[in-house]
Amino acid sequence: MDFENYMPTRIEILAHKDDGRAKSIESILESMDVNASVQAVDVYTSENPDAANDAFAKGLANPVTQRVNETPEDFTWALEIGYLPGVTDNIGHTATELLALTSNDNLNGGEPVYSSRLYLIKANTEKETIEKLSRVISNKLIQRITIKSLDEYKKDGGMDVVIPKVKLDNKGAVADKVDLNISDDELTEIGTRGIANQDGSRRGPLGLSLHYMKAIQEYFKKEGRPATDIEIETLAQTWSEHCKHTIFASPIDDVADGLYKHYIKRATKEIREERGEDDICVSVFSDNAGGIIFDEDHLITDKVETHNSPSALDPFGGAITGIVGVNRDCIGFGQGAKPVVNRYGFCLADPRKKPNYFRDKDCTDALLPPSNIMNGVVAGVEAGGNCSGIPTPSGFVYFDDRFAGKPLVFVGTIGLIPRMINGNPGHEKKARPGDKIVMAGGRVGADGIHGATFSSVALDEGSPATAVQIGDPITQKKMSDAIIKEIRDKGWYSAITDNGAGGLSSSVGEMAEQSGGFLLELDKVPLKYPGLSPWEIWISESQERMTMAVPPENTEKLIEFFAKRGVEATVVGTYTDSGRAQISWQDDVIMDLEMDFLHDGNPETPLKTTFTRGGQAEPDFAEPLSYEQILVDMMGRLNICSKEFISTQYDHNVQGSAVLGPLQGKGRVYAEASVSRPVLSSEKGVVLSQGLFPRYSDIDTAAMAAAGLDMAVRNAVAAGVDFAQLALLDNFCWCSSDEPERLGQLKRAVETIYEMAVKYQTPFISGKDSMFNDFKGYDENGKAIKVSAPPTLLVSSIGVIPHVNRSISIAPKAAGDCVYVLGATKDELGASEYYDQLGYVGNNVPETDLHQNLRLYKLYARASRDRLIASAMAVGYGGLGVTLAKKAIAGQFGLDIDLSHIDLRKDKALFSESTGRIVVTVSPQNKKAFEKNFKGFEDCHYIGSVAQSENLFIRDCLKTDIRDLEEAYKAPLKNF
Amino acid sequence: MTAKVIVLSGYGLNCEEETLHAFKYSGLNGDIVHINDLIDSPEMLDNYDILAIPGGFSYGDDTGSGNAFAQKMKLALMDDLKKFVERDTLVIGICNGCQILVNLGLVPALNAYGERDVAVTYNASARYQCRWIDIKIEHATSPWLKDIETLHIPVAHGEGRFMMDDSTLEDLKFNGQVAARYVNEGGHYADMAFPANPNGSTFDIAAMTDKSGRVLAIMPHPERGMFTWQRDDYAELKDQAQRDGVELSDDSDGIVIFKNAAAYFEMKMKKSA
Repeated sequence: MDFENYMPTRIEILAHKDDGRAKSIESILESMDVNASVQAVDVYTSENPDAANDAFAKGLANPVTQRVNETPEDFTWALEIGYLPGVTDNIGHTATELLALTSNDNLNGGEPVYSSRLYLIKANTEKETIEKLSRVISNKLIQRITIKSLDEYKKDGGMDVVIPKVKLDNKGAVADKVDLNISDDELTEIGTRGIANQDGSRRGPLGLSLHYMKAIQEYFKKEGRPATDIEIETLAQTWSEHCKHTIFASPIDDVADGLYKHYIKRATKEIREERGEDDICVSVFSDNAGGIIFDEDHLITDKVETHNSPSALDPFGGAITGIVGVNRDCIGFGQGAKPVVNRYGFCLADPRKKPNYFRDKDCTDALLPPSNIMNGVVAGVEAGGNCSGIPTPSGFVYFDDRFAGKPLVFVGTIGLIPRMINGNPGHEKKARPGDKIVMAGGRVGADGIHGATFSSVALDEGSPATAVQIGDPITQKKMSDAIIKEIRDKGWYSAITDNGAGGLSSSVGEMAEQSGGFLLELDKVPLKYPGLSPWEIWISESQERMTMAVPPENTEKLIEFFAKRGVEATVVGTYTDSGRAQISWQDDVIMDLEMDFLHDGNPETPLKTTFTRGGQAEPDFAEPLSYEQILVDMMGRLNICSKEFISTQYDHNVQGSAVLGPLQGKGRVYAEASVSRPVLSSEKGVVLSQGLFPRYSDIDTAAMAAAGLDMAVRNAVAAGVDFAQLALLDNFCWCSSDEPERLGQLKRAVETIYEMAVKYQTPFISGKDSMFNDFKGYDENGKAIKVSAPPTLLVSSIGVIPHVNRSISIAPKAAGDCVYVLGATKDELGASEYYDQLGYVGNNVPETDLHQNLRLYKLYARASRDRLIASAMAVGYGGLGVTLAKKAIAGQFGLDIDLSHIDLRKDKALFSESTGRIVVTVSPQNKKAFEKNFKGFEDCHYIGSVAQSENLFIRDCLKTDIRDLEEAYKAPLKNF
Repeated sequence: MTAKVIVLSGYGLNCEEETLHAFKYSGLNGDIVHINDLIDSPEMLDNYDILAIPGGFSYGDDTGSGNAFAQKMKLALMDDLKKFVERDTLVIGICNGCQILVNLGLVPALNAYGERDVAVTYNASARYQCRWIDIKIEHATSPWLKDIETLHIPVAHGEGRFMMDDSTLEDLKFNGQVAARYVNEGGHYADMAFPANPNGSTFDIAAMTDKSGRVLAIMPHPERGMFTWQRDDYAELKDQAQRDGVELSDDSDGIVIFKNAAAYFEMKMKKSA
């Protein structure tokens, strides 16, 4: 059939009057002082002739609440939001599948369905308001907006019929030859701006320094031929900071083997050696995630990723791509682990503020406001995690306005995998020469090539596919279920890995290291649309794909099985032992590189560092006269207040595994640790937590790193983890990592966590870094500015609890229970929440006493094993005052407290952030045993009791109604 | 011979494992079967006594939650499904499964199986809600709900709002097809008030059945509240039990639904023996 001349079909499905989505638009307009009544219309557009059949439209609508093509002309403004060409359209994708079902016609090759949403807005307001609304609820990088008045709508006979089809004009896509026999200046030009197209334009930054470009020039001189574009693109990908972690790998000062090997990896190695038979590590740093022993039959795996830059551009797309991406790291662990828990963490600017930052000097291209970024990243992880059926009980949100330029978006996935699969260790895999390269899952498009480019070509100009990606969790879920729940245990593949950054170039390149080479037939890779150049297919970051190494005798049944599960899988080449990385395209070999050069040919770049301690003098200010209001104000600080609006949006009990969730006690306090039971038939649990103190970097990154690691450990200990079965993950999010001073801060942080991990005997099992979290742009006056995220180390903890009945929640359980603070409170308020509240930085940043903390954690672990503790909460942001208030809110009990054991000014006693402290409550019947357990530990302080009252009472200091504290704690983010 | 349950999977359904676990824990046998395998061999339904459509995000909730999966089932399996429910079998749809049953017209099926009478649509808050709620059982003649008064179990959905016209609601009430309604902490009907009614559901409806009571469509998740350790107040219950020196029972409210299914077939077999 000739689709070209077919009239497209547009189907409009009107929702009922009281639709929740329409109501939320009304409330946004209300916040702009506009009274409106809104109706929502789901729109489906397709050039496929079958879309005109009634059966299709009927299948899209529920006759009880929806009307088909009965859009009323009872509005002032019509606002339609659809996707730009090439942007993942999940609703359209499902509608396309429905079309295939109703048309009795195999749709392969047929035209798809595109979705958009139309809001009919009845309001006495100007077009400007509707434009403003559209900016709040859409993103111009990925979406198109159409606004029509009722008159225009009538005149045009409705909204426009838009088919956002990708049209690429790549006449006879081939691999171009690139002559590297050129000057250093020209080499630099290629490295920084990309390979030149025939029209002189450049293909986009490669991030290759002259140092690297010269190594490449040298290599091709030796080969005696010009390079091809795909070869240079491949080297750029493989040698990128993102893939090679060059800053952590390079010699730095006198550390010849680099920070990663010398400190992080060595810490784990030393701990494993010392532990001997008690070693919990099984797979560390070598796979897509780290794995430790869970029980006799299973390992648990963990991986935490960042997705910062994409989230700054498209918060929803960046975050959903992040979470489904890290799910694939789990699926790609060993022979394939089942995702059982997701983690999240966001570092954001105050969503109530509206800083004016622009990408351009003329102030036309504004950064997204913090509230859009927050709503987007929260929604992205929600859509990705919820749709994938993976519970998300654990997370955090940290606020500092320096995250306005680049937010930090952390996403993590815990996996479960049998220790033995088909008689082989579940964590081992190896691609063998002769194995076929099989790609399964989604198809390849122009997604994510060279990161995002801000193309905003008009729709009718055959516009390019946008480079921003949106995850498609259902395509991935089908693939993941097929692999983890069925195919893995059939033993049909010898190795598996995910396609993330760098796409096939990374996944095939990495697996080929095991076999010793590969030959990829690039023209066999299934594409979303025609016209991609070979190099684009090779490095595309299209999501939802796994790469497998499959013995030839298994490929047919594997592909057939995938098809039965609605998943496309294709043989795209062969693993070899040729020692070469080879790619063919039609009949030509377009890439032929030595494997050794590809993986290890990047020349060393030695780094030098300097370090200066930051901070100011300790502030000198009068002691407050009363503390009631101060504590209430502290409870409302963004880093302290409740994030319940996130917890209730994230499915935290799917898989039936939730034990201790995100909101604890009757008072629903947002907790920092969670406990899950991933194997329903085993009473063992997984304890998860994390710690980070970005602001401490303003004084000393060593203190920042120490406090974060200690918090990650202490939160898990407080919740009842077995201290001997606790492991850590490190995520460094740094800024300006080309400056010696920033590198000096980094080195200090890494040295610190090496020392701590070894002391605590908590091995690192996985890690990741993101080294340039800076925004370079302009303020509202066109003045150049640089907004750098504070150097941030996130330490995540994962541990095992032998029986979930040993888990300890934060909420006090009964009046009359004794309250203790374990650990010493010192004059340590530098960069604390309290000083920040008063506008100070100070100097006395908390120093971590490793020896004393370790003693405490070991004693505590014994007490929690014996179930002597009724509730526990690690002391964090805002110190003892905030911790006691949170405990009172959680339990809905009063507390009678006496802090006279602390020899400090009252405000310092209340708000010091000294590390190594836990506040616990103990039932009277366990009091004796508890005190005996801590005998000889000088920092076990009895501070009062749980009371049947409505007040947090701290002797000689304050008496505050719990309801006031609760109101202050829950108010700030309530309306997000 | 114990009764056998078929739990569906595929296309984004995701609670099949814990749902099967609930049935097995209750003494039943069962299998997880991918929807495409069932479509390939619909006759396999003859081997089962219970059909469970578990929770999940089939087709990502696109085109309305449960809609696309129901369309797929309707086109390929409607006659087989009708045949199945007309036998003396039990059917349960939980959360996404509930949305699928409603879109298939197996619930409430006021006139005939296969016609859509009600809708389960976007929460009034337009937000996904994962939280613990209390429901009161209205229709004790459903085998699934026998001898249950209230259940403390969680909801987790973005589209859990039952909607229907007034006459449909009257019919449902008259027929005793309203199976469960949201109540507040005091045990009174939520009367549409958030968060006790988490989605704005008409008449606080949390679950409904077909006319026979054998087909149950329930938005909250009994399988996520089947064990005491899954409960939101587990820490409190566990602590109290320790103080009282008593053993805390493993079973919590949700498991009773699955045990009821087992008891139904046990009784049936006894009768026929």
